[in-house]
Amino acid sequence: MNGLPEKLLTIFSWLALSALAAALVFLLGFLWMRGLPTLGPELLFGHTPPLDALLFRQQVFDGLFPAVCGTLLLVLLSMLLALPLGIPAGIYMAEYAGGRLRRLFNLFFDILAGIPSIVIGLAGLSLTIFLHRVFPGRVAPSLLVSGLALAMLVLPYLIRTTQTALEQVDPLLRATAPALGASRLQNILRVLLPSALPDITGGIILATARCAEDTAVIMLTGAVASAGLPGSLLDRYEALPFTIYTISAQYGSPEELAVGFGAAVLLLFLCMGLLLAALGVQRRLSVLLLYR
Amino acid sequence: MRYTIFSFMLLPAVLAWFLLPVGTGLASDLDPFAGMRGSIRIAGGTAHIPVMKAVAREIMSVNPQIRISIAGGGSGLGIRQVGEGLIDIGNAGRKPTEQEIARYGLVLFRWAIDGVAAIVHPQNRIRSLSSAQLQAIYGGRITNWKEVGGVDRAINLYTRDESSGTRKVFWKKGLNRGKIVKRANVVVSNGAMKTAIAHDPFGLGYVSVGHIDSSVAPVTLDGVKPSLQNVQSGRYPVARGLYSLTRGRPAGLVKRFLDFLYTPTGQEIIAGSGFIPVQ
Amino acid sequence: MRRRQPAGRPARGLEYLFPAAAAAGGLFTLAILAFLLVFGFPLLVDGRLAGLLLSPWEPDRGLFGIYPMALASLLLALSALVIGVPLSLGTSCVISTLAGPGLRRFLMHGVRLMAAIPTVVYSFAALFLLVPLMRRLLGAGSGLGLLTAAPVLALLVSPTMIIFFTNSFNRVERQVLLAADALGATGPQKLLFVILPAAWPGILNGMLLGFGRAMGDTMVSLMLAGNSPVVPGSVVDPARTLTAHIALVMAADFDSMEFRSVFVCGLVLYAMTGLLMLCFRLVAALGRRTRHERPA
Repeated sequence: MNGLPEKLLTIFSWLALSALAAALVFLLGFLWMRGLPTLGPELLFGHTPPLDALLFRQQVFDGLFPAVCGTLLLVLLSMLLALPLGIPAGIYMAEYAGGRLRRLFNLFFDILAGIPSIVIGLAGLSLTIFLHRVFPGRVAPSLLVSGLALAMLVLPYLIRTTQTALEQVDPLLRATAPALGASRLQNILRVLLPSALPDITGGIILATARCAEDTAVIMLTGAVASAGLPGSLLDRYEALPFTIYTISAQYGSPEELAVGFGAAVLLLFLCMGLLLAALGVQRRLSVLLLYR
Repeated sequence: MRYTIFSFMLLPAVLAWFLLPVGTGLASDLDPFAGMRGSIRIAGGTAHIPVMKAVAREIMSVNPQIRISIAGGGSGLGIRQVGEGLIDIGNAGRKPTEQEIARYGLVLFRWAIDGVAAIVHPQNRIRSLSSAQLQAIYGGRITNWKEVGGVDRAINLYTRDESSGTRKVFWKKGLNRGKIVKRANVVVSNGAMKTAIAHDPFGLGYVSVGHIDSSVAPVTLDGVKPSLQNVQSGRYPVARGLYSLTRGRPAGLVKRFLDFLYTPTGQEIIAGSGFIPVQ
Repeated sequence: MRRRQPAGRPARGLEYLFPAAAAAGGLFTLAILAFLLVFGFPLLVDGRLAGLLLSPWEPDRGLFGIYPMALASLLLALSALVIGVPLSLGTSCVISTLAGPGLRRFLMHGVRLMAAIPTVVYSFAALFLLVPLMRRLLGAGSGLGLLTAAPVLALLVSPTMIIFFTNSFNRVERQVLLAADALGATGPQKLLFVILPAAWPGILNGMLLGFGRAMGDTMVSLMLAGNSPVVPGSVVDPARTLTAHIALVMAADFDSMEFRSVFVCGLVLYAMTGLLMLCFRLVAALGRRTRHERPA
């Protein structure tokens, strides 16, 4: 017995789904159409022979190679900075914290997770200015500052993932080792962490994707339109999302615009690929924890 | 695999393409860069970017050990950041004020003359405006193309961000310090302005003369076309110098970079980018 | 329940790392706030807070008010929600109840994939697809404005909301659902009379999450909304959000009032985040008290 309200709800829900799917197909299909033809070695290396570029014998000027390298270095750096803080903090939240302290930290991490990315970039910039005033001439927007800021961006997510993964370990499993005489630390290191590892790894992969795609933070902390490969951590650098933004605003020729489409498709592949890897690795942790 | 073989076959051709200009004497101007190491951080005026990129390309092709990073941001940013020591060379499309020079100890290097012209979409039939009309449009008093002889559509105004030297010069000399209505769309660089107008059949904006190509159409102001000759001769009043600034006298790699802008090769690059090179 | 350490176990040094790491994380949250306050201080202290929040942006006249930007942020986020919430709710209804098991799995994977799409990619595609379309449809304007940015923003925040809504739909107590089934309720009936009413805290919180994300996004409004620093007269006018303003005013002198205004923007955004968090917790607590959800 389906009355009018039920019918309306059904129709509306299916229409909503279709509208969303159509919009997505529309946008992504357009991107795909314009971007797919550009994929190829010229997209990455421009007029420089790929072997020379890869061996760093020549710089690449009209390809995405510096941007791709910049993004990879950035992701590596920020994960290196975030993991040693995020995982232990998550362990603390799941296993040690209690009562008021736990509620306090929960609040802090929720706020940190909710701060818009550009505000984090702004904080990174102000840190740079401050350090520059104190140690003149040595600190400037650079790979290092961006790495720090991105680490701050994904930290709450890593903490939450680790915490939730640990909390979801089977209580029976959790009780076994202590019953056999293991200390809390031994239990964590040898039983809980390994059994929560798939979910934690999934979370790490997703955090990596977040670092790779973010534009607002790196805009303010060191990404530039043209820099070649960064020579050191204190250099400016190019990054894929920022290159996409720059090209979209000011492309000089149809070729440059084509590079932009190629870059967008490349970034899309990268992030989707990372997500698929994460889904393949983890059991059932909700992507929801990435609620920025 | 097939790809590697293919690229090896192309390698001599590409290398020749790179080495040929070097072989024909450009090497002499680029000699000071051989054997040097280091990095140069450049930021500021967006009009300078094509020249900076071309010069950087020449230098980095000859010596891959040198790293040159180029950012935009506008003349204001160039002046501030070089003054604060965050970058090595700051580009400005307007002459820094006495205050700025004194405050930061800036040393100026002018290497080109450029103009700022109003631009419209190539399909727009209106190619000529008087100063009064331009001021009225940017002041918000004229809002429709039909009021200046065009179609009945609203004029989409584009302007630059407040740090822009191009904007300062246009405001001072083109609009006679008249008001720019706040409703105008804001774009952040000369390149962005060009892209915006190239896509908007009813848009009006202003851009560095050197940046004008077939994707936009320049607007004649008071009967004077914004061509390079007119800018050089002074007939077109909205002109400005392109400056590179350093904090204090430059040395080392930075000095050689700036010197390169005055060599024949450098001046050729500047002229090729659409500006008038200056000694 | 405090767990006791059994006596005589070695290597407890590592255990000091854990709270230290958490403390560092908490410190970051406070440090960000501190930086924003310190740098924005001159503007706040001058007693011009009211002026800042209410006056327009006219740096030539010494007015550094962020009111137009704050209003634009609110309008854009609300518009994105107006478009996005119905779409997300409908999709969640399909995923949780109306679809068969195969389609359900496919859709959940699809939504997760959608969540991974970077905002700069959405904005890039929309810039070349939607902006000319808007210009032609409206017959006026440059195609850049709130009306162009809102649908894209809605698309951006929808996956988050869908996942959240679906999760809360799935959390409705099994006994209630079984009772409905026993009474012969069909899918839509269950949705209308049981799930949706019971999951209202989840729906509300999902909307808050979506709102927070919409307010906090930079690239969509930077690339699609025109960036003029005036209060938009209508949804087709260009506008500048708080986030885009921060990205645009980077060039100013670090000591100038102009530059410091971005820190006030940052503070407003930070405060908004805090406020949303509090509302989130409030709604969750209220929901738990009415006992229609299993505890989270």
